This record gives sequence, structure tokens and C-alpha cells, in this order.
Amino acid sequence: MSATMALVFGIMAVLPLFVGGTAHMMHILIMCLIWAVVASCWDLIMGFAGIFSFGQVAFFVIGAYASAIFSIQLGIHPLAAMVLAGLVTAAAGVLVGLPCMRLKGAYIALVTFAVHMILEPFLKSGMGRALGTGGTRGILTIPPMELFGITFAADNKIAVFYAALALAVICSAIIMLVIRSSWGTAFLALKDSQDFAASLGVSAFKYKLAVFALTSFLTGLVGGFYAHYIGMLSTRLLGIDLFVMLMIMLVLGGIGQFPGAILGAIMTVIGNEMLAPLGAYRPLVLGALVVVLVLLLPDGIMGLLRSLVPHKVAEQVRQG
Amino acid sequence: MKKLGLFILICSAIVMGTISAHAADVIKVGVPLAMTGPYTDTGDNYWKGIKMAIDEINAAGGLLGKQLDPVRFDTQEFAPERVMQGADYLCGQEKVDSVHAGWAGWGQDVRAYGKYTAPFFADDGSQAAVDVFREDPKKYANIFQLTDTDINQATSMFNVLMALPHDYPNKKVVIINADDAWGMGVGDTLEANFKKEGWEVALREVVPYGTREWGSIMTRVRRIKPAIIHVEIVSAPEVITFFRQFMRTPTPSILSYGYSIVPREVVQTMGKEADGLIGEVPTAMPTPEAPTPEAQAWVERFTGIWKHQPQAGSWAAYSGVKAWAAAVVAVGDEKNHAAVAKHISTEGYKGETGWWKWDEDNVMRGGGDVPFGHYQVQNGEMVTIFTDPPVKPYKDYKFITPRWIK
Repeated sequence: MSATMALVFGIMAVLPLFVGGTAHMMHILIMCLIWAVVASCWDLIMGFAGIFSFGQVAFFVIGAYASAIFSIQLGIHPLAAMVLAGLVTAAAGVLVGLPCMRLKGAYIALVTFAVHMILEPFLKSGMGRALGTGGTRGILTIPPMELFGITFAADNKIAVFYAALALAVICSAIIMLVIRSSWGTAFLALKDSQDFAASLGVSAFKYKLAVFALTSFLTGLVGGFYAHYIGMLSTRLLGIDLFVMLMIMLVLGGIGQFPGAILGAIMTVIGNEMLAPLGAYRPLVLGALVVVLVLLLPDGIMGLLRSLVPHKVAEQVRQG
Repeated sequence: MKKLGLFILICSAIVMGTISAHAADVIKVGVPLAMTGPYTDTGDNYWKGIKMAIDEINAAGGLLGKQLDPVRFDTQEFAPERVMQGADYLCGQEKVDSVHAGWAGWGQDVRAYGKYTAPFFADDGSQAAVDVFREDPKKYANIFQLTDTDINQATSMFNVLMALPHDYPNKKVVIINADDAWGMGVGDTLEANFKKEGWEVALREVVPYGTREWGSIMTRVRRIKPAIIHVEIVSAPEVITFFRQFMRTPTPSILSYGYSIVPREVVQTMGKEADGLIGEVPTAMPTPEAPTPEAQAWVERFTGIWKHQPQAGSWAAYSGVKAWAAAVVAVGDEKNHAAVAKHISTEGYKGETGWWKWDEDNVMRGGGDVPFGHYQVQNGEMVTIFTDPPVKPYKDYKFITPRWIK
């Protein structure tokens, strides 16, 4: 797991040497890293904890808006605003998670997707505008993050890239540590048989609520990073396109196959860009490719890699 | 290994399929438009105008002897990073010398393309975009809006509704608009104008794109029996389903579709069934008979190519390309973006209906030779019945009382 992550992030780290002069390519790489974190969080809650949460994009948007509002309305430094946004999103995650404790499977998906559906009208409403969301206009002037004399703005993409890389490495390391810890074992136990796990003293309430809080925090944090990088926000983020793309990332990487979600995010973002010349046929071809890949690779890219690497080596890789 | 081989084959096919050769002696023109998602219809309208202008220039020997090469980018649903990505791709990577968009992000586009120098033409119709421009007009000197703002367009819609030769049975209006920046801007302005004139806004509904079932709203509309129903959702399925469900038990109301009339699919799908609907188009090419012989020739060329009358955006986008091309010829260097932009903003452009003059915000305000057009669907086609400002009937075309009003 850690070896795969090190390899992927290591390759990513040297890519600016080759494409650093091209703003468009750097933007794609930055988006790969941002979505890699969001997809990994989704994988943790869905793939490992077995909670069918469809609220990940909503949490991302909450974090992005919260960080923008903190920095604009209260004049808080963007870095602190990001952390605060993570905490706000974690609180939102817990609030969403609480009713989900009483639910299972598809019903959790419904509740969490309802959050996604409600968020857009809320951000556009009078209440949203009063909070500083900008209503339908969105927020068009979000200050960039400045640290050590470096401005992490859209016109300084190499700096933003390495900041995004650092953030992605930290978030992925946290996710990996959680999966490897007793928490990860508890998640798997609850996913496989909640009753049996409970009989062994594993508290479903505690662990499920904790995973909601953690994944929401990390997603909100990276949402804040996105807001300060792009410099503007609108509710267009809640369109179905991004939701579907994230789902493709997860499926392509392999659900419950961390760090497959990272690979899935990178491949999906880059693949989507490569299909751009197809114009109106892009979603069609993308959809067809996903169907083919899912049929060929039911366990995603990580499943393929495991089938290619001899079992013992794979086991070593999995153990790190 | 078989799986890996197939996987590599698929990836290779994608890579090979997307590599395209570009001739060296061309001028690249960026075209960021919605090619997928809910804005595809309007994106298609803009593309038809842009393509027509590029083809005409190329057929006439090109611009400064070079052929124009359109580079398209799918803006999808205008997510912020998508708008920025379009600017980075077209201006940063492809090094285009002009960018011709339509709806492009309502202010987000001004920031994204303002980082670069290539002249950028948008059809935002958005006060938000103008507000961003006003923050730093020097920085955004390359940004040009092809149409007036949502506020001014909605005011024009209101003025024409008040000028219709029709006796309203009451002073009740229902306003239904989409929950995007455009819909809200128009809805808010209309509501304020109606209230100012002593009308009762009996119902104001904000609905998301994708709304197809109008039962509950229609029940309230039938109870209110408003004199005017204004629908502002620029997507064909929504407004078509609204109309058809309205027609099951119509009220004696003027059905005003504002800019929602523009997706070609509306009149194409409904034909004569849509007769009676009224709508508005900014930067309008009045049809079916154009105001000047040059404009009439343009309409005929457009109709010959695309087999239908020009829809909103087509002529605006066409004129954006032509205005830029004229400025490049005047400057003599397509790479001198600052001089080209300055020429456009100071000299304007002589188009088919007359002069295009951008104001100090680089906005093409409605009026003069490029007015707002107000249409009614008659005999299955859009017919200009008024132009504005000032509100005046267009040629001999008359408003016809819709068939559902007894």
C-alpha cells in the first residue's frame, strides 16, 4: 500500500520537470491530486467502512465555501480558513452521520444524496447569501494562500502543485494509517458482519460516526484548498458531471482497494481530458470505456496490479 | 497478461485518436462552449455562428493570408475549475489569438481569460461579469461582452410586455425562473419592475434545470389566472414540457418565455404548436425579414447552411469573430493582442445591421443598430414584433393574440 503510494506520488512529484511550463497540464495534475484526496475519502467511508455515503461532493463544496467565507468575511488567513473549513465540514459530516446510524445500505445513500441535493438551493437562497455564498453568482474573489512569501494562486501553478502534492500525501497517509490501525480492522469487521463485530465489543456508533467526521474533515480541507487555488466558486460544482466523475474514479481504482482511488482519480482526470476532442461524444465514450473496464477489471486498477504481481510480492506490497 | 494487453491497447487508441496535426501557417481561434450538459443547446447556437464566420473568412483567403483553425473546448456546466481549465488550455497551451465563447461563466470567465491577452468574446448577459470587469478595466481590456446585461434585458422584456397591444384582464403575474445566475437576474428584475408598476407578483417560483413535471405549479397558476406568465429557463425540455402541460387547461395569460425561446429545439420540436409564445433575444438579428439588405443576405446565407432561421447567439457570436478579424486586418498583426483589443473597443465594427460600438465596460449595449429583438412564434417560426430601446414595432409584423386566450 505504502509502496504503491510512494511510487505514484514520486512519479507525480517529478512531472513538473516535464510539463511545468504548460499551465493547462499543471492544472490537470493539480486537479488529479485534489480529486485523489476526495476519492480516497469516499473509498474509506464506502469501500472500507461499508457506508454508502453519496455526500462526498457536498462535503467538498461545504469546505470550499466555508474556507472562502472565512477568509473573505472574517479576514482569516487562507491556511487557517482551510483548517476551520475542515472542522465545519466535519461537524456537517457528523450531523449527516447521526441519522445514518439508524439506517443501512441504500437508505444511507438516499440521506447523504439528499444533502447533496439540498446544498445547491441553500447556497443560492437568501440565507446562503446572508452567509456570503454570493447566491447564484457564487463567490468571484477568493484570496489565494500566501506562505513564506510564496503566493499559491492560479498563476503560480508549480507552487500550487507542490502544495497540493503535500496535502495529498498527508491526507493519503492519514487514510492509510487509519486503514492499517485497529480502526481499519473495526471498519472491515463492521462491514462484513455488524452483529458479530458488536458481539466482540466493536461500537458501530463510535466507528461509523468517526469515519464520517474524518472523511468530511479531509474532504472539507481539500475543498478549502480548491477554493483558494481557483479563486472563485459557484454551485456548478454540484452538477451531476463531477459526481459521476468521482464515482468513475472510485470504480476505476477499485472500491475498497486503497490506494486504488488515487490511481483512479489520476487516470479518470487525464483520460477525461484526452477524450475532450471528442466533444459531445466524450461522455458516451467515457461511459462505454467505464463499462468495458469494470467488466474486465471488477476490482479496478489495483485488482489488475495485484493479479500481475506475484502473490508473495503483492502481499508484501499490501503490507507496505 | 491478456487483460493488461487489452488495457494498454485501449489507452493507446485514446492517445492516438486525440493526437491531431496542425498546419503551421494558421491562426488558432479558441471556442469554449458547452458541448455536453444542460447548456448544449445554446452552445450549439453559438457554434453555428462562429463556424459560419470562420468558414467565410477561410473561403475568402483567410486572415492576413492565414487560415483560421478553431480549437474547441467543452465548458460542460461551467464549474469554476472547468472555466479556468478552458482559459489555460486555449490561451496558455494552444496559444490562440482570440477566444469566441457564448455563455461562459457569468464573471468567472472574465477572471479566467483576463489573465491572458487574447481578445475574448462572451455572451454572458450578466451584471456579475460587468462588475468583475469594473474592478480592473485595464487588466480586463481584452474582455468583450456581445450582449447587454441580464438586468437591462429583463427591463426590455418588461417594457415590451407593457407595450403589447393587448388588454390584460388583471394585473397579476407569475414568474418562473431557473436557479442559475441568469434566471435569478431576470426574475429579480422583472419582479421589481412589475411591483413598481403596481402589478401583483402572485407567484414566484425558482426551479432547477431538469424540471419536467409542472403539476403543482400549474395548479396554482390555474387558480391565480394571471395576465402574464413569464418563464425563464434556457433549456428546451423544460419550457416545452411547461407549455404542453399549460395547454391542457390554459389560462388567459400571455406566455412570455424571455430568452428561454432561444434553444432551437423549442420551435423545431413544437412548430406551429408554439404559435403565440413570445420571447426576447439580445444582440438580435430581426427575422424573418432583416432590417438591411446586408443583414437579409446574412440571414439567407445562414438559413442556407443550417436549414433554419438564426437563433439567439448565432449572429452575436458570428459578429464577434468578424469584429476581431476586422481589427486584426486594421492592426496587421494577430499577435498584437493589445492593439487588436484597443481597436475593437475604440473603433467598433461595421456589421450587417450597422455599427457595433462597445461601451466603456466593453459591453455591447442594446440599442442603435444592434437592438434587443422581441419575437412571437407565428406559423412555427420566430417573428420579430418589436425592437427595443426604444420600444417600437418592427416593420409590419404584428402581435397576434395567442389562440388560448379567448
